[in-house]
Amino acid sequence: MRLNFTVNGRAETVDDVWEGESLLYVLRERAGLPGSKNACEQGECGSCTVYLDGVPVCACLVAAGQAEGREVRTVEGLADGDRLDPIQQAFVDAGAVQCGFCTPGLLVQAHDLIERVPRPSDPEIREALAGNLCRCTGYEKILDAVRLAAERKAGAR
Amino acid sequence: MAIGKAISRVEAGDKVTGAARYTEDVRVAETAHAVLLGSAISAGRVRGIDTRRAERAPGVLAVITHLNRPDFAAVPPTPYTAEGRMPLVDDRIHYAGQYIAVVVAETREQAEHAATLVVVDYHRTSPVPTLDAALSQAYIPRENGLARVPSEYRRGNAEAALAAAPVRVEEEYRTAALSHAPIEPSSTLAYWEGDRLTIYDSTQSVHMHRPLVAIAFGVPEDRVRMYCSLVGGGFGNKSYSWPHVFLAPMAARVVRRPVRVTISRKQVFTGTGHMAATVQTVRLGADQDGRLRALIHDSVNQTSFIDDRQETASAITPYVYAVPDLYARIRVTKVNTGTGGAMRTPGDSAGAFALESALDELAHRLGMDPLELRRRNHADVDPVSGRPWSGKQLLACYDQAAERFGWDRRNPEPGSARDGDDLIGYGMAGGQRTEHQRPAQATVDLTDDGTAVIRSSMVEIGGGGLTTLSQIAADGLGLPTAAVTFQHGDSALPAAAPTFGSMTSGSTGSAVKLAAADALRAAIDLAVGDRRSPLHGADPDDVVAHEGGLRLRDRPGDGESYRALLRRNRINTLRGDGDFQPEGEDAEHAMATFGVHFTEVRINRYLPRVRVVRHVAAFSIGRVLNAKTARNQAQGGIIMRLGAALMENQRPDPVSGRFISPALTDYHVPVNADIGEIDVIFVEEPDTNANPLGARGLGEICAVGICASVANAVHHATGKRVRSLPITPDKLL
Ligand code: FES
Ligand code: FES
Repeated sequence: MRLNFTVNGRAETVDDVWEGESLLYVLRERAGLPGSKNACEQGECGSCTVYLDGVPVCACLVAAGQAEGREVRTVEGLADGDRLDPIQQAFVDAGAVQCGFCTPGLLVQAHDLIERVPRPSDPEIREALAGNLCRCTGYEKILDAVRLAAERKAGAR
Repeated sequence: MAIGKAISRVEAGDKVTGAARYTEDVRVAETAHAVLLGSAISAGRVRGIDTRRAERAPGVLAVITHLNRPDFAAVPPTPYTAEGRMPLVDDRIHYAGQYIAVVVAETREQAEHAATLVVVDYHRTSPVPTLDAALSQAYIPRENGLARVPSEYRRGNAEAALAAAPVRVEEEYRTAALSHAPIEPSSTLAYWEGDRLTIYDSTQSVHMHRPLVAIAFGVPEDRVRMYCSLVGGGFGNKSYSWPHVFLAPMAARVVRRPVRVTISRKQVFTGTGHMAATVQTVRLGADQDGRLRALIHDSVNQTSFIDDRQETASAITPYVYAVPDLYARIRVTKVNTGTGGAMRTPGDSAGAFALESALDELAHRLGMDPLELRRRNHADVDPVSGRPWSGKQLLACYDQAAERFGWDRRNPEPGSARDGDDLIGYGMAGGQRTEHQRPAQATVDLTDDGTAVIRSSMVEIGGGGLTTLSQIAADGLGLPTAAVTFQHGDSALPAAAPTFGSMTSGSTGSAVKLAAADALRAAIDLAVGDRRSPLHGADPDDVVAHEGGLRLRDRPGDGESYRALLRRNRINTLRGDGDFQPEGEDAEHAMATFGVHFTEVRINRYLPRVRVVRHVAAFSIGRVLNAKTARNQAQGGIIMRLGAALMENQRPDPVSGRFISPALTDYHVPVNADIGEIDVIFVEEPDTNANPLGARGLGEICAVGICASVANAVHHATGKRVRSLPITPDKLL
């Protein structure tokens, strides 16, 4: 089938999509956007998290066809040109990135949290990120990064 | 100085924008996709396998089984070939999930679909399901030439000394099988051009694994090029070549196209090893004043029917405390499970749980502070060889961590500290890891634009090696870290030490340091011999690197930039070579890393789930190369082991032996909501006895001793001694 959707602000048409394919597969294999990671393909880890019409979803659980006519935003679409989004910059500065495989999904999830809750409490951060597994960092620095990004964003307002 | 500075990792920008390319992100035209079909039974053989429907399914290019597979040229040596039996060689089934067919198709989805159409007729035999079922069959494996540690160690007469000791502790401890569970599933992409093989593999070492593939396919090593620049976590499961690594090139030969195999999340659990479950006994004998007289540490772990892989739980024991009479033994026993593999931290994590728990029991029996007990038995020199340590700041670690933690506030009475319905416990434990070093090579090129390029095959696994090694080269040449780039993860580059066994800092770091020094030397020689240089005629020993160039040590004004020097001489690059060769067995010093952990737990009286609210650790690892990446790595290692202490368990089905929780939803790893505050202290002391850089490894020592520290805190909180991991609520009811 043919799939039309918008990804990171750009209109995208991909052909020969098989019905059984996931949105993650389409992004990674057909749209040239391998930033979102395939780590479990069953909704367990959050590494594939992307925005679908502004709501974070596990792209591995979304059938490709469900994205028809909708708007997708991936980790590749968070930065504004060369300027990192505050959440990206905070992950770098706080040392929240180690192997980096969980990072793309965590960034989207954390980005959404700060959009919704500009100054999240620690329990709110933990809750929001509980579906995103990271095996390297032990989360401490990820929490720091979210706090830092929230502070910076609030300061800039 | 860049070394020691807390700078952000150099590849972080790529990792936060999605630009970083891992093995599964590499795209090669015409790639076909393979899916591996695993056995549904755990013991027996494949009586028949019908692949006809699968072969006719859309997009399918080939279905490869033991019946139609090409031959391997040879079996490459273990242990880095993970399994001693090559995949698909015969009809035998030794564990559930063992690969019995490879389905290759145009897309991964098509291959997955076709794999469901393969019909297998199994002949079942009765499996040995668990370690307990096999315990009576434990044996000492015949010596494997590649094993680093002996299966048995003895000094003095431990049995007699134990019998004579006035105070004794004799207990059995158990650790569960664990999964590395890295977030990146292993992936291999292979293609042939004649007898040349290119292979992108999620490996912790391109140079350790390339020869294995070359041997398996009977091609000269220089015909194989292996790449891996970034690994999405490994913790040891990518330190071996597992069967899929050999199946991808095999499938590529069969279909004459590039083939990618990415294993499924389930197969990460069954197809890339695990930390084997252990049953250990520790017997301690001591004087009334806490001096250890005898120590016997006996360990048995499950292994598979195809390998004798030891989880070397008691290997470190002879080195840790000053005990005159000691016996340690490591046995294995065969279970219908996959072969285990080294997982952070092989042997020592499991062993420390038993040894450091037993010491806590001894302290309790003696009415002595557990920290004081360890102080009294401190090994001032290596108890095995009698050699001095290259560096050991364990006593300072004890002091600093105890103070930071507030250990002196602890009332020794179990159950004495409460807060409402919460029982509060303080526990502590030590850790030690033998330091390993490997030969490593690197080059550092100074270029005529005033930058430097490191070339070494190192793989970045998340530990921060790219960053710390860039800092080392920058320091050696007087450049900012930003002026250093790193070509890595390619077997065509000089051979780095593998990114496992905590060898990046010490070994590859030393090679980079030597290479940078060599490049500097070349630049100095060029300058002092060049009439047009302000440094012409100077004594080379008086010239130093400074801010992007050279100058005289005593006359800062006299000097020039690398850029000017190289351009004037029309030289594009000046290459420095670094070849680090460890001293090996006859070294003057014994080398190890040391640590201590202090843990506060809180346990609700009515719902006894253990929460770790505070953990303080201190490590003696020589010099710290980058405070930020080091702290990150240590915290990650601690949390990984907190998972082993409290929740992680690869449980075998008691009948079939198959792992019953091969999914992240069932195999619980710590998540954000589980973790309290974690504080890490480094007691630094540049250890140039160990290597030119003065640094020892961190990646492994950081994960040794945590489970015992938690168990000891649980005992302090509740009076209950839990001797089997993980410490789940049911064990406290
Ligand atoms: S890959 Fe989608 S949740 Fe794990
Ligand atoms: S940084 Fe490796 S999994 Fe999170």
